[in-house]
Amino acid sequence: MTADTVTLTVPSRGEFAKTVRMTASALVSRMGMTFDEVDDVRIAAEEAFVYACDHAPESGEVRLDFAVGDGELEIRVRLSAGSRITDEDAERRAAYATFLLQSVCDTFEMSSDETGPYLRVVKRAVLESEDAEV
Amino acid sequence: MPRSRDAGKQSRKLSWDKKHTRELFRRYRVEGDDAARDELITMYLNLVKYLASRFRNRGEPIDDLIQVGTIGLIKAIDRFDIERQVEFTTYATPTIVGELKRYFRDKGWAIKVPRRLQELSFRVNQAIDQLTQRLQRSPTIPEIAEYLEVTPEDVLEALETSEAYNFVSLESDRGGDGSDSFSILEYIGKDDQLMAIVDDRATLAGALKQLSPQEQRVLYLRFFEGLTQTEIARQLDISQMQVSRLLRRTLKVLRESIVREA
Repeated sequence: MTADTVTLTVPSRGEFAKTVRMTASALVSRMGMTFDEVDDVRIAAEEAFVYACDHAPESGEVRLDFAVGDGELEIRVRLSAGSRITDEDAERRAAYATFLLQSVCDTFEMSSDETGPYLRVVKRAVLESEDAEV
Repeated sequence: MPRSRDAGKQSRKLSWDKKHTRELFRRYRVEGDDAARDELITMYLNLVKYLASRFRNRGEPIDDLIQVGTIGLIKAIDRFDIERQVEFTTYATPTIVGELKRYFRDKGWAIKVPRRLQELSFRVNQAIDQLTQRLQRSPTIPEIAEYLEVTPEDVLEALETSEAYNFVSLESDRGGDGSDSFSILEYIGKDDQLMAIVDDRATLAGALKQLSPQEQRVLYLRFFEGLTQTEIARQLDISQMQVSRLLRRTLKVLRESIVREA
């Protein structure tokens, strides 16, 4: 499956959560996702972004790659190697983000490639298959 | 507190006011003198005006705020217990402020939003509910756009706008209606999924206490029962947009608490 990719790089500050949210919702809005699903995407994008902000150095940036596929959106949120929060903190928040992201997404995982670690979040539109049954 | 400034300004009149107030209350309560009630309302209109002015910069006309505040004043007059050793202003102030806060909560616009977007946001909200009924599922963004004859981008903008309302301050009173005794804390023993994220039970308990019963319930239904927003909206008889907002606010409070406590 070929996917169009949109890359967004924003300062690692909470006030840019809206930019991230709106980018994500704009990308999935024509994908046939329902309002419920779009809202899940918005929560997922925001949580993943906030999580990455915690791991970015102060006055750093967070890079997000949105891959717009056929009825699904994949978001890869790049994580900085260095973290400015303590281990215990990081664990707690990572567990929280994991719980939420697992609840609202179809796939959520921590992964890494040659450029470093990233969060991978996938949300699929279920509407078409449901319509087929009706 | 700004209230003391107000009290200072009025201090010269105060002793006469106090006596006169007691007399008016006596006439209204004991003799059923409605003119006394009217006089009380007029007398304390300045208090309403002052309190309403504190909410002035939130995009609502001051006259509307004074009207709302006056309703609070009338409630306070009707409920005030003259036997209690409390000044009427002390009693009335929280009632009036409460009425103003409720107005903003119901009306929902805590941050000034362009009227076009306010209206669109309102219409999107209605469209979601109507389309959900018609389609028997949550509608897609293009479906909402087509229904309202706007672009999908307009719908998305309206969704973002809706974040601007229902800003409920953490200091505001919680669970005021008391009708809903649901507490997510009761369920935590049964399902430790969320607990796994916090080693310290007190952290989560503290965070959850900041949530209203309704917010706790939405959180529970969404993340423990795994219901969709549409299903939650139906079950709680609120709009999907409200579910969305409640959820977002709830997650924000939890996230912030977890960080703060850590």
